[in-house]
Amino acid sequence: MSIEKRKKNAVWRKLKISFFYLLIIFIVFFHLAPFLWQVISSLKNAEEIYSIPVKYFPSSVSWDSYKHLITSPVFLKNFFNSIIISLATTFFCLVFATLSAYSLSRINIKFKNLLQLLLLLACLFPQIIFLVPLYEFMAKFHFINKSFALVLPYVTFSLPLAIWMMAGFFQTIPKELEEQAMIDGFSRMKILWKIILPLSWPALATCAILIFIGPFAWNEFLFALTFMTRDMSRTVPVAIALLSGASMYEVPWSRICAACVLATLPVVIFVVLFQRKIIAGLTRGALKG
Amino acid sequence: MSGKDISEQKFGLFLILPSLIILGVVALYPLFRNLLLSFMGSDGQFAGLHNFLLLLQDGRFKKSFLNTLLISGISVPIQLSLGLFFAVVLHKKFLGREVVRTAVFLPWALPTAIIAVTWKWIFNDFYGVFNDLLLRLNLINEPLAWLGRPNLAFFCIIFAEVWKCTPFVVVILLAGLQSIPSDLYEAISVDGANAWQNFKLITLPLLKPALLVALIFRSIQTFGIFDSIWILTGGGPGGSTESVSLYIYDTVFRYLKFNYGATLVVFNFVISLTFVLIVYYMFATRRQFEY
Amino acid sequence: MIKKLFVAVISLIVVFPLLVYADEQVKITFLWWPDPGGGFEEVIKDFEKENSDIRVEMIKGPTSTDTREMMYITGFLAGRSDYDMVLMDIVWLPKFAKQGWLVPLDEWFSKEEKSKFLPGDIEGSIYKGRTYRVPLQTDAGILYYRKDLLEAGEYASPKTWKEFIEIAGKLQNKPDIWGFVFQGKQYEGLICNFLEILWSFGGDVFDEEGNLVLNSQEGIEALKFMYDLVHTYQVTPEGVVTYEEEETRHIFQEGRAVFCRNWPYMWKLAQEENSPVKGKIGMSVLPSKKGIQSHSTLGGWGFGISKFSKNKEACIRFIEYITSYESQKKLHFKSGIVPTRRALFKDKDILKQNPFYSDLYKILLSAKPRPVHPDYSQVSDVLRRFVHRVLLGELSAEKALESAESEIEGILRK
Repeated sequence: MSIEKRKKNAVWRKLKISFFYLLIIFIVFFHLAPFLWQVISSLKNAEEIYSIPVKYFPSSVSWDSYKHLITSPVFLKNFFNSIIISLATTFFCLVFATLSAYSLSRINIKFKNLLQLLLLLACLFPQIIFLVPLYEFMAKFHFINKSFALVLPYVTFSLPLAIWMMAGFFQTIPKELEEQAMIDGFSRMKILWKIILPLSWPALATCAILIFIGPFAWNEFLFALTFMTRDMSRTVPVAIALLSGASMYEVPWSRICAACVLATLPVVIFVVLFQRKIIAGLTRGALKG
Repeated sequence: MSGKDISEQKFGLFLILPSLIILGVVALYPLFRNLLLSFMGSDGQFAGLHNFLLLLQDGRFKKSFLNTLLISGISVPIQLSLGLFFAVVLHKKFLGREVVRTAVFLPWALPTAIIAVTWKWIFNDFYGVFNDLLLRLNLINEPLAWLGRPNLAFFCIIFAEVWKCTPFVVVILLAGLQSIPSDLYEAISVDGANAWQNFKLITLPLLKPALLVALIFRSIQTFGIFDSIWILTGGGPGGSTESVSLYIYDTVFRYLKFNYGATLVVFNFVISLTFVLIVYYMFATRRQFEY
Repeated sequence: MIKKLFVAVISLIVVFPLLVYADEQVKITFLWWPDPGGGFEEVIKDFEKENSDIRVEMIKGPTSTDTREMMYITGFLAGRSDYDMVLMDIVWLPKFAKQGWLVPLDEWFSKEEKSKFLPGDIEGSIYKGRTYRVPLQTDAGILYYRKDLLEAGEYASPKTWKEFIEIAGKLQNKPDIWGFVFQGKQYEGLICNFLEILWSFGGDVFDEEGNLVLNSQEGIEALKFMYDLVHTYQVTPEGVVTYEEEETRHIFQEGRAVFCRNWPYMWKLAQEENSPVKGKIGMSVLPSKKGIQSHSTLGGWGFGISKFSKNKEACIRFIEYITSYESQKKLHFKSGIVPTRRALFKDKDILKQNPFYSDLYKILLSAKPRPVHPDYSQVSDVLRRFVHRVLLGELSAEKALESAESEIEGILRK
């Protein structure tokens, strides 16, 4: 290759790389922009939020909103509740989903397709129609204000997606692996535990993320509002909705944004932790052994 | 069937049992109750198909149904394509990938209700950032009432929905991309395949299961869109962004017309189910779920 | 023998109070917004001190009225007594009463007692001749105006719409200052505004016998007027179709509007230290067509008793307590409520801190509740859509009222 051509290729490569990074920056900005707006708003004091023209950087940073939230025992307890409930939901959902998905994808049971579709059923209805009957149920058995009241419906509504995802993933694992293991005398459960699961980290981690930060765990509002009536039993989304200004019409913007930012932290931590698992499970080469 | 097969069957069912029990306990009773209600009149007497006939004449329902179809029909393909694009980009190795990925998950991670209020503020005609930026960039001459005009409001809703839900697609597709063995790409690069052919011949076909999951679940979820519309426009302007879920909520919780509300739910369900069945049988390869 | 007696006596001493309290101490609950002012909690504490056998729990719900309504309805639908008392918005009353969820209060809420309250609030507490609610706090639409700008232009506050348009048009200076802002988003606030304008032209939704009279000459004139505000006289920005209370407050408080229709809560905030319009504002009754009396739309909250409550007697005692003169006064100072007892508007302490209350009283006396009909929510939704479309310029006032009336007829027939 001539020197000019080599130079041209090098320049072209540099252009491609810079274009790529520009794209990345754009993607990040696109996803973060409203959130950044929330962060900025949480540091402003009340008047600046409504100023025209729009102030992008607060003239004086005010940590009042954060101080108020962190020193509030109720908010901290709500935070804790959300974490416990979301973790429990994620855990139980993954357990049941993995078992069901394994069964659906490997074992030849009758009416497999029908069962698959049945599992989807709960998703095809608007959440609100479950509200009153579930409330009756929880109230009758005194589960109101207890974590179980929320974990049960959350697991129910998260199951369909989790099962579909895990089942789809199990499809991609070659059957030869299990056939070999069965010839070696492994039982189904052992195969699941020792062979399939370790290979499934990408899917498990992805499911975990989707469940935890999804509409039926950390961020769920409707059931959390109805089933938890005591201040100390509430979860974060409801706590944010209860942040009020001095009158019924006011919206304490700063504080709500601050609460949102705080509420995002556990989610970010969770995602970062599980992301590593997704990447760690990447070495598909291990399969060819 | 051999004895081994039968015990396999039993074992298989046993594994699924917990999920079925949970779904049964939580979902079955409300669903049956709902079905019953839809066939009864407000006086508690059996009314046959009366409620359904009312539904067919209900102009407001037709409008909300159309709105929902439009919102889903436009935003879901955008979410899928955008999600695919982002997933492919994020699948490559580059500096700071982990940070970028975490950032990309963020919209999905924020509570819908709160982020909707943020959008409402962003689209505000006096104080909104959107108008401010557009004015500064000289793209418009005077502030637009984004949430105040039907077409613009529609755009805002779709924009907010795409922003919030594309990460969901990205996450699922990333997992799918992860499970494509890299040696497949090595194999065809020997034959001199370029990036586009990689994508077309290997990536896309093998992503089909993941795409299917994303398509079905996103469609179902978008069809039930409620929170963001409630906060952004309340169904306006002039009822032009009202979704079916909003109408059901109003009918049940504000008008206290339980029977008719149940009818709306049943109708909605039939439509969603039909859609899912069609998509499922069209796109699912025979290879799926066969032993 | 002595040991046995000793044990018996000790057990009695230990058990007896438990039995007594277990039987006698009763707990009643109601749902309200978080009330950062703390007035409600204080009144509750005072009540519990005087009534040691009753414990009152105020369950905190979100600020959003609609969400709390849903919470109450969920409780009723499940047939539960989770909320003994219902602190309800004036518009919920006919709905809840029709479903049979409320206990009639006529036995102890006498006519004499009722006369001590504001008439509009009482009117809104009655369904089919029976009373289901004791009003606690009230709200009414007010016309706020920039006193400084009007005085500079040597205008008096407008009594008729004609004067109003003239003043707004002359004093506005777009886009910095607009003539008039109100709540025009598609929500309940829009109907509050619409009704005020409708009444100011002599129209109404229902007449005294309950007939639907929406589609009338007066109605068309009123609706056309709303359209004209934005499109013909152009004193109101197009964005009005997205405004709720807070948006209009910020616009007015930042000095960007000459007139603003809003609720009483805005006064205090607009007079705060850092408000650009402090000391420059006035309030008056809304203008009307010449010769017609203007009426504000009534908002407000009051206590009812749930049919499912197991402690109705305790509820009655608490409601009597919290709606008393002293309690309402306390709630006014701590939580900023506008009281419903007429005498409080002549109270020296209240007038000292809020001199505008004497003006407010006059407005309240002529305030009207929204149509007291169990299907009001659905009627309101129909109206909202059509009024909004007229504001947008998509539909003519004639067509809108015609369609709205026929749709409402359909609803009422079912």
